[in-house]
Order: sequence, then structure tokens, then C-alpha cells
Amino acid sequence: MKRSPRFPILIALLICAVPLLMASPKVGETAPDFTALASNGKSFHLADYRGNYVVLEWHNNGCPYVGKHYKSGNMQRLQKQWTDRGVVWFTVISSAPGKQGYVTASEENDYLAKTQATPTAALLDPAGEIGHLYDAKTSPQMVVINPQGVVIYDGAIDDKPTTDLSDVPGATNYVSLALEQALAGKPVGTPTTRPYGCSVKYAN
Amino acid sequence: MLPCATKAQTGNAAIPHGTVELVAENQWIEPAHESYLGLHFELEKGWHIYWVNPGDSGEPPRVAWQLPTGVTVGEIQWPAPQRLGTTSIVDFGYEDGVTLLVPVRVEPSLAAKSPAQAQFGAQVKVLVCREICIPGKAQLSLTVRIQPQPSAADLQTRELFAAARKSQPHSPPSNWKFSVADLKDAFVLTASLGRRVKDATFFPLAESQIDNAAAQKLVPEGSGFRLTLRKSDRLLKPIERLKGVLVVSGGGSYLIDVPVDKRAATGKAESEAKQP
Repeated sequence: MKRSPRFPILIALLICAVPLLMASPKVGETAPDFTALASNGKSFHLADYRGNYVVLEWHNNGCPYVGKHYKSGNMQRLQKQWTDRGVVWFTVISSAPGKQGYVTASEENDYLAKTQATPTAALLDPAGEIGHLYDAKTSPQMVVINPQGVVIYDGAIDDKPTTDLSDVPGATNYVSLALEQALAGKPVGTPTTRPYGCSVKYAN
Repeated sequence: MLPCATKAQTGNAAIPHGTVELVAENQWIEPAHESYLGLHFELEKGWHIYWVNPGDSGEPPRVAWQLPTGVTVGEIQWPAPQRLGTTSIVDFGYEDGVTLLVPVRVEPSLAAKSPAQAQFGAQVKVLVCREICIPGKAQLSLTVRIQPQPSAADLQTRELFAAARKSQPHSPPSNWKFSVADLKDAFVLTASLGRRVKDATFFPLAESQIDNAAAQKLVPEGSGFRLTLRKSDRLLKPIERLKGVLVVSGGGSYLIDVPVDKRAATGKAESEAKQP
């Protein structure tokens, strides 16, 4: 269908607006910037962390797939292992108020203390802005960003898409694999996988 | 006619917000012939379980069989799925319940044993969801008589199996023709069915091939349609074939398996795929 040339400005605006409506950033593209309030009361701006690897961990404390990684201590181990090496780790909670996984700042702080989780910060995203920016579909879902601000991994935490605790020890962890490969200057062998878990509980 | 001897069953096993049961289609199994069991899930209203490709979230039910020598079980035959979820997170599954069909086979040597019967054990792991998801596990067992004569349907389960077969996707009629063009960001499925079609939906058997949430734009053609399937962001390598269930308005679901044509698509298909 031929577009009418009578309204060039309107057409230009439409063309410019489309990228904002498009779906998730792909691996290899710049990670979309955001500013978020964390459960510790501080504000975090992603662009401030250029120069660091950054991990985004989508989280819902009621989801059994997330539960597998927290009950086993797996997520806590990963957080400690990688933050000890200078990686910035953001747990992101995009559940809308009233939905599973939604937490107030103090509830999240209690959860972090109880589970002995040590992300750099737990970002509260009840409006789902960061979630939609990254098209986060499940919890857990993991995004790894390199020091140049480019997404190098987006997808599942590992290759065992189940709720079984027994599937944690033998699993290939895609987050650690991506970080290890990137830190060694190698290409990331598995840059994206289907994330597994419960759907992110956005507002209706 | 022998009085209907009981087939030992554990009955229903509880799963979150529902039950699951292993049932035999026939009163006995004839050796060396294909026979069917049904894995029948019943769920409270609004709860669902997932198809073999669950879509953006969720997990399909998994069955681990415990079988004696001489008893074999084939692949689960899945009814056509429903599209579930929201606009941005789309899943494939079954709401309120479903019966999965399982082909089974028994060696003739088992007919000579006493008692002549086949024992099926099944450990079922299933994710049951509504707004939230709850994983469940059930251990089922079923003992079915073996008799070296054609099986008779079990009257109690006849309706169950009739409904299960009706919901199975069929092979497409032989005069239907399909082709798939491989564009940069989408697959375009062209179907020639000999009639106009207003609406169609494609459910891929494999994960991470198409963008599940993207609208599947249909352009009618005289004797069929062209359906644009936006590619998944997770699709890293070209695929050889597109396999899945095509649900067509005016009737029916069909299991299609179409080679992907990697030659340059026509300009028309490209420009259609680009339109929002």
C-alpha cells in the first residue's frame, strides 16, 4: 500500500515511534537504560555501571522455579560468586501490586536477609517498566550485560527447565558460562535460550 | 460374554487443583496390536496445564513410565492446544482438563503368562496454573488384562476416548498444499486449501521458533491464505522444516510439517511481513 506523501512529518513521527513499541532488545544490542528504586531505598541507574558486567535476575518469591534456585542456595551462590568478582547483580521484581511476587521494600529486605541473598540491589519494578523494556517473560529470566553496555545473554538461568531441586547440581548455568566466556575474551557460545519459569505478573 | 472383570486401577490421583487418572481404552489389550491408554487430567475451573510446546512460560506434563519386559509405550499424542495467557506472554495448553493419548504395545509372550496382564506404572509431573503455578506429582498404576482376541471398547471410557480423538489434530486433506518462506524476521506460511479461510492460528511443536505473542497476520488468497509468523528472538539458526498444529476457522486442527524454502521470498510477502 503506497503511503500518501501529503503528511511527511506525521509519517516521520510514526516511523520514529515504532522502535519504542518494538519487542525486547536482542543479544548484541545495547541494553536499554533505566533508573529504579531498590529495596534498600537507593536509586540505581544502569548507565552508571558501564565498565562493569551487569546481571539482571527477574524474580518472584512465590514462583516454584525461582524457589528451586533459592531453596537450593543456587541463586545465592551465584550472586556471591559473581559480585565478589565485580559483577553488578540486580534482582528485578516486576510483579504488579496484588499479584504473586509483589513485595514492599521492607518485605524484600526481609526476604533477602532470610534467604541470605546478596544481589547488589533488589530493584522494585511494580509498574513493570523495566520488565517491559526487556520483554521479561518469566521468573527466573536472566540478562547479562557487558561493560560496554551490550546484552550478551538473555534467557534461562540453566538448561533444566523444571521445578526439581535435584536438577540444580548437574545443570549447565548459562549465566556463569556467559560471564566466564566473556571475561576470557571468548564469544558467548549460547547467547540466548527460552527462559523457563512462571510468567512475570504484570498488571492486567 | 465374560462378566467385566475389574481392571485394577488406583483411580484418580490428586494433583494441585485437580486429578489425574490413567485409563485403558479397551477392556483388554490384544498382543502385538496397538492399543491406547489415556492420561486424563481434570482441573478446577480456570486452571490449566501445558502443551508439548508450552509457549512463553510454563512446562508440559512429563511422564516417567515403569513397565515390565514385553510392554512398551509410545509417544504422547497431544490434542490441539488453546492459546492462553496475556497479550505479551502467550502460552499453549489446556484449560479445565485434557486427555492425552498414549499408544501401547504388548508382546505375545505375555499372553501365555498367568495371570495374563500388563502393568503400567506412570510417575506424572505436572505444572498446574491459573494466576499462579503449582507443581504436582502423581504416581499412577494400571493393570490391564491381555487376551489374544480383538479388544472391545470399555463402555465407561468410550466417551472419554471419543472426545480425546476428536480433539487430536488430523492429517491435512491430501489436496491441501503448504509452503513456508523464510524471511529475515518472519516465516510466511502459504496454504492452498481450495476454499477461503477467515482465520487461522499456527502452534509450532518446537519452542523458540516463532514469537508466541506476536499477532499472526492472515491475508486471504482465493483458495487459501498467507499467514505471517514473526520469528522468535531465541531462534539462532535456520530451521529445515516448520512443524506444528494449524487451527483453521470453519473447522478443525491439522498437524502440518512443511519444508522451509530459503530462496528469496517475493517482494509482496516481504512487505506484508514488515507491516505492523
